[in-house]
Amino acid sequence: MTLWIFFFFHAFLRVCSWQLFLDIMSAWEQCVGILQSELPAQLFNTWIRPLQAVESESELKLLAPNRFVLDWVKQHFLPRIEELLTSLPDYSSMRIALEIGSKPPSREPLANPSIPSKKPSIGRKQAIPNNLNLSFVFENFVEGKSNQLAKAASLQVSENVGRAYNPLFIYGGVGLGKTHLMHAIGNNILKNNPSANVVYLHSERFVSDMVKALQHNAINAFKEHYRSMDALLIDDIQFFAGKERSQEEFFHTFNTLLENKHQVVLTCDRYPKEIKGLEERLKSRFGWGLPVAVESPDLETRVAILINKATQSGVSLPDDVAFFIGERIRSNVRELEGALRRVIANSQFTGEPITLGFAKEALRDLIALQDKLVNVDNIQKTVAEYYKIRLSDLLSTSRSRNVARPRQLAMALAKELTSHSLPEIGQFFGGRDHTTVLHACRKIQELRDTDSKLSDDYSNLLRVISS
Amino acid sequence: MVAQVPLPFHLDPEQSFAAYVAGSNSTVLAALQATATGSGDALVYLWGESGLGKSHLLNACCQAAQAAGRRSACLPLRELCAHGPALLDGMESMDLLCLDDVQAIAGNRDWELALFHLYNRLRDNGKYLIVTADTVPPSLRIELADLRSRLAWGLTLRLHPLTDEDKLAALTQRARQLGMRISPKVGNYLLAHCQRDWPSLCRLLAGLDQATLAAQRRLTVPFLKQYLQDHP
Repeated sequence: MTLWIFFFFHAFLRVCSWQLFLDIMSAWEQCVGILQSELPAQLFNTWIRPLQAVESESELKLLAPNRFVLDWVKQHFLPRIEELLTSLPDYSSMRIALEIGSKPPSREPLANPSIPSKKPSIGRKQAIPNNLNLSFVFENFVEGKSNQLAKAASLQVSENVGRAYNPLFIYGGVGLGKTHLMHAIGNNILKNNPSANVVYLHSERFVSDMVKALQHNAINAFKEHYRSMDALLIDDIQFFAGKERSQEEFFHTFNTLLENKHQVVLTCDRYPKEIKGLEERLKSRFGWGLPVAVESPDLETRVAILINKATQSGVSLPDDVAFFIGERIRSNVRELEGALRRVIANSQFTGEPITLGFAKEALRDLIALQDKLVNVDNIQKTVAEYYKIRLSDLLSTSRSRNVARPRQLAMALAKELTSHSLPEIGQFFGGRDHTTVLHACRKIQELRDTDSKLSDDYSNLLRVISS
Repeated sequence: MVAQVPLPFHLDPEQSFAAYVAGSNSTVLAALQATATGSGDALVYLWGESGLGKSHLLNACCQAAQAAGRRSACLPLRELCAHGPALLDGMESMDLLCLDDVQAIAGNRDWELALFHLYNRLRDNGKYLIVTADTVPPSLRIELADLRSRLAWGLTLRLHPLTDEDKLAALTQRARQLGMRISPKVGNYLLAHCQRDWPSLCRLLAGLDQATLAAQRRLTVPFLKQYLQDHP
C-alpha cells in the first residue's frame, strides 16, 4: 500500500514538474514574442535569437553560445527580460539563470541529404563519432597527373593499415583534394574492417579537445582515446604551429601509434620541413613515412572533375561548358566547384537548360574579375617578385640566364592565361618579336617535362596569378 | 496655427522575404529561402554593393529559419569586429548562422582564423552558413588561403541593384507600411529629382512621413517640392 502511495506521489510530482517546464517554456516564448516586436530585427537576431531556453527547476535557464553573447545579454537585455517574465501572472518570483552552453538536439537534423555534410559513421556502435564524411570516397575522387601519386599512396594505406606508409603525409595548396583523400582512407579502412577504430579530425579540434581535457582533469582519458586508434587522421597540421603544449602531446600520441603499427595520416599546406613554428623533432618524424604532394589539376582533370561533380548532382554538363569553366577557373577545386554550383543553381531556379551562353551569363561577374586581375602587367610583376628580380630587368634586353629564364616563363604564362596574340605579348616585353615569344613558350613547355624545379615554379606562379 | 508635433515613433519596417522587393533578384531569394529552411546549399555567399538590402535578407533568413523550427543567429561583423572573434565561439550550435559584411574582418588574422575554424565546425556538424560581402570572393582581401577557398566553395549569389521601376514599387510598399500613399506622379518626381540610392530614398521617405504628419497633409507633388526646398 505504502509502495503504491509512493508510486502515485512520485508520478504526480513528475507530471507537475513537466507541467511547470511547459509553462516556463511558453512564458519564455511569450517574452521572445514581445522582444521581437520591441527590438529592431538586427538586434533581436544577433542577441535574443541565439538564446536557448532549457528545463530547470523553478527557474528559467537561458543558454548563450559563448561568453560574449552572455555578457552582452546580461548587460543590455536581462533587466527587460526579467521585467517581462515577472509581469506574467504566476511568474512574479521567477528567477532567470544565464549560462554558456547548448542543448543537444532532440530531433534529427533537417539537413538536406544531397549536401555532403558529415553523418555518423558506417553502421556500427561507437561512443565517439569518427567524423568521417561518407560522401568522400576513392570512387568519386577524380584522378589526374597532379594527384595520382597521392591517390595511389592513400589507397595503399587504406588497404594495408599501419604497414604501407606510416605516417602518410599529404601536402599541397588549398582546395586540391587533401581532405577528400583523407576521408576516403578512413571510409575504406572501415569498409574493410567495420570494427576498426578510426577518427578524423581537424588539428584545431585536437588542440581544443586537449585544452578541454586539461580544464576538466581528463588528460589521461584524452591520451588513452587518441593513442588507442587504429588510424588517426589529422587535417591541416600547419595549425599546430606555435602551440607547443599541443605539439608535445601530439608528438607522444604520434610515437605511440607508430610504435604499435597503427596508421597516422596527416595533411598540410606545405612540405614538413617548411612548416614554421613546428618543433624540429616533429618535422623530421613527419618525413619518416611518405610525403606525397597534390598539385593544381591540369585542364583535362579540371574538366573531368566538373563533369563528375555535375553527374553527382544529377546534372548532365555539356563538354563545351565544362571546358569553358575549367579554362577560366584554375586556382583550385573548391573554386571550380563553387562556379559549377552557381551554374547549376541558376539553371534550377530559372528552369533554363545549361548552355555555353547560359554559363557565361551565370559566371559573368566572376570571369570579368578574373580577366581584370590576370593581365600581362600582373603576370610580369608576379614573376619578377617570385624570382626577386627587377621588373625593368624582365623587360630589358639582358640575356643573362637569371633574367632570361624568368622572362621566358612570364611569356609562357601570358600566352596561357591571357588571350593576347604572340605579337602583342612581344610588345609587352619590351617590343620583342613574336618568334621570340613562340620560342619562349616551346622552351618552357620542354623544360616543364625535364626540370622539376622549373615545373614547380610554373605551377606555383600559375596558382598565384589565377587565384 | 501651431504645427502638430508627431510622436517620435520609429517603425522598424518588417524585414521578411515578403517585404523585400526582389526586382531581378528572385532567384537569389529562392536560393536564400531554401538555405534558411535547410533544403538548399549549406554555404551561401551573397554579395552586392551596399544599400541593396543584404542585411534585410539575412534577417528574413533568420525569420524563415525560425518558422522551419531551426535555431539561427545573425552577426553584423562590421559593428562587432572591434570586440574580437570570441563572438564566434560556440556558434556551430546554430542550425543557420548569418554573417553580415564579412569584408569587415578581411585582413585581420585572428578573425580570419576564427572564421576558418568556425566554418569547419559548422560543416562538420551539418550546419548552414550565409555570409554577405560587398564584393566577389576572389577580390575579398582575405589573407588566409584556406578561408578564401572555402568562401568560394559555396553558392555565390549576386544581388543586382533595383531598376527605377523596382525602386518605385519598393518605395510605394514601404510608404504603405508607414501609412502613406505615394501616387505614381509623386514617385516619378522623387526618382527624377532626388538621389536614387536606396538608403537615401528611405531617409527621404522617413523625413516625408514626419513632415506630412506634422502638416497633416497628403503627399503631393507640390508638398514634395516644398519639402525638398526646405531640406536641400
